[in-house]
Amino acid sequence: MEAWEVGSTLGPAPGEARAAAQAAKRARVRRRVGLVAATLAPWAVLIALWELGAARGWISTSLFPPPSAFIRYAIESDFRVGFGREAMPIPVAILASAFRVVAGLALGFVAAVATGILVSMSRLGSAAVLPIVRGLAPIAPIAWIPLAIVLFGIGEKTAIFVVFTGVYFLLTLSTVAAVQSVDPRLVKTARTYGASPKQVWLWVIFPAVLPQVFTMLRINFFAAWMAVLAAEMVGLKNGLGMIIILGREVFNSNLILLGICIIGITGYLVDTGLVWVQRKLLWWSAPTQ
Amino acid sequence: MSSLVCHLVGKRWQAPQGLAVEALRDVSLSVSSGEFVAILGPSGCGKSTLLELIAGLEPASRGEILIDGERVTGPNPKAVMVFQEHSLFPWLSVTDNVAFGLKMKGVAPDERRARVREVLRRVRLEPFAHHYPHQLSGGMKQRVAIARALVGNPEFILMDEPFAALDFQTRVLMQQFLLEVWRDFSSTILFVTHQIDEAILLSDRVVVMSAGPGRVLEEIAIDLPRPRSYTSSGFNDYRVRLTAHMEREVMRAQPEALAA
Repeated sequence: MEAWEVGSTLGPAPGEARAAAQAAKRARVRRRVGLVAATLAPWAVLIALWELGAARGWISTSLFPPPSAFIRYAIESDFRVGFGREAMPIPVAILASAFRVVAGLALGFVAAVATGILVSMSRLGSAAVLPIVRGLAPIAPIAWIPLAIVLFGIGEKTAIFVVFTGVYFLLTLSTVAAVQSVDPRLVKTARTYGASPKQVWLWVIFPAVLPQVFTMLRINFFAAWMAVLAAEMVGLKNGLGMIIILGREVFNSNLILLGICIIGITGYLVDTGLVWVQRKLLWWSAPTQ
Repeated sequence: MSSLVCHLVGKRWQAPQGLAVEALRDVSLSVSSGEFVAILGPSGCGKSTLLELIAGLEPASRGEILIDGERVTGPNPKAVMVFQEHSLFPWLSVTDNVAFGLKMKGVAPDERRARVREVLRRVRLEPFAHHYPHQLSGGMKQRVAIARALVGNPEFILMDEPFAALDFQTRVLMQQFLLEVWRDFSSTILFVTHQIDEAILLSDRVVVMSAGPGRVLEEIAIDLPRPRSYTSSGFNDYRVRLTAHMEREVMRAQPEALAA
């Protein structure tokens, strides 16, 4: 507990210590296995009920084909969707959508932290910029789609722009709020050790706001993910959103449910990736879930 | 010989509603090198404000503060402040926290590392050099905060109730630790506390302050041999005397506190 007790010769004998460590490790593994089981079990039950319901005819297989049906469909169509030359492999669609959302989030995060901090540095700046940001923040990202298509055409830039607008304004406001809630003791400590105002911004306020803004980013990721899918459905006609829209156009429920599952799983994986980034880069405040 | 002199220092805070609050009035105080001075007073007596003025974090409204004859106009490497818990930068390791001041001053990385290692060795924090604050107990955190102050060789270390958030056991250990540091580094320490026992245990001299506005009531030299303990003979005489003072102050401040 105290520094001078480290390396103390008192304590359990080496053999006992090893046995205790092994017991602790076994307990950890057991807890781990229990957690994984608790995570997977509800899915297994849900899928089993779905399959059972479909097999017994409780639910309409033409509207809600079970996983066994739409997965078979995916395998039979060689993991491609669409017709002829426009057919696109599903992995390509996943990567296209994931790239758009990650690129938009990254740009939005960097720009929002920069704007939030620069604006917080002067009262005039806040007075000039914040009302505009607060006016633009409530606009749903989907509302930008028509304008974005006119500005950037049908393509990558439009999708990234939609994600960007979906997070940028909110994250700017959240950066400003985070700046205001930085512990004044940290700022005073930096000043007492001779940090200039610029150094305080760079070495104290900037790192101090990152965890809070990143948490907001994670929360807003879901909205951004939905926005990208919506953009793909209405305008872009590619990526994961296209799978759904194609399913609707040809009235293929297999395609729709396949699309829904892939969208959910991909979103979950990207969110897990964000948690991983947070743990690696913002370790002092990382969430455990 | 370095010296710290406060001459008729006053501080008014401008409250948002336009009311001014007088935090300090006519505070005069002098500290010479090697001394351990405790500032004792009820909460709200402006003792923390006094330290912030001395550290140059806030300007005084009246009077002047001189360090080695030079007027304090801003943060000054000669007098650094150690706050209560939670003043370590959570994103920096123990080493980087301690190196913070040197980095701000532009000390070269090699020299920085060497000086940090030396201080960590002297305060027995070496095994924790690569730990992060969230991995440390409250007492360890404060030890790092003290190491961070020591590494710049300040003439005065200003401590604002550094052990107030710790439990009794840890506080006793930290008080011993601070006394060792004071002796080993020949530092000069100005220590704000509201605990009478802590003031008697640690200091050469106790400056008793009153509340609303903060003024210096009395200075009492603690003439007890070191090492001291709460049960040393003579300790109780000081305790009685200071408790009487504090009681009077609390009773005097009470009507105002209730009215506020």
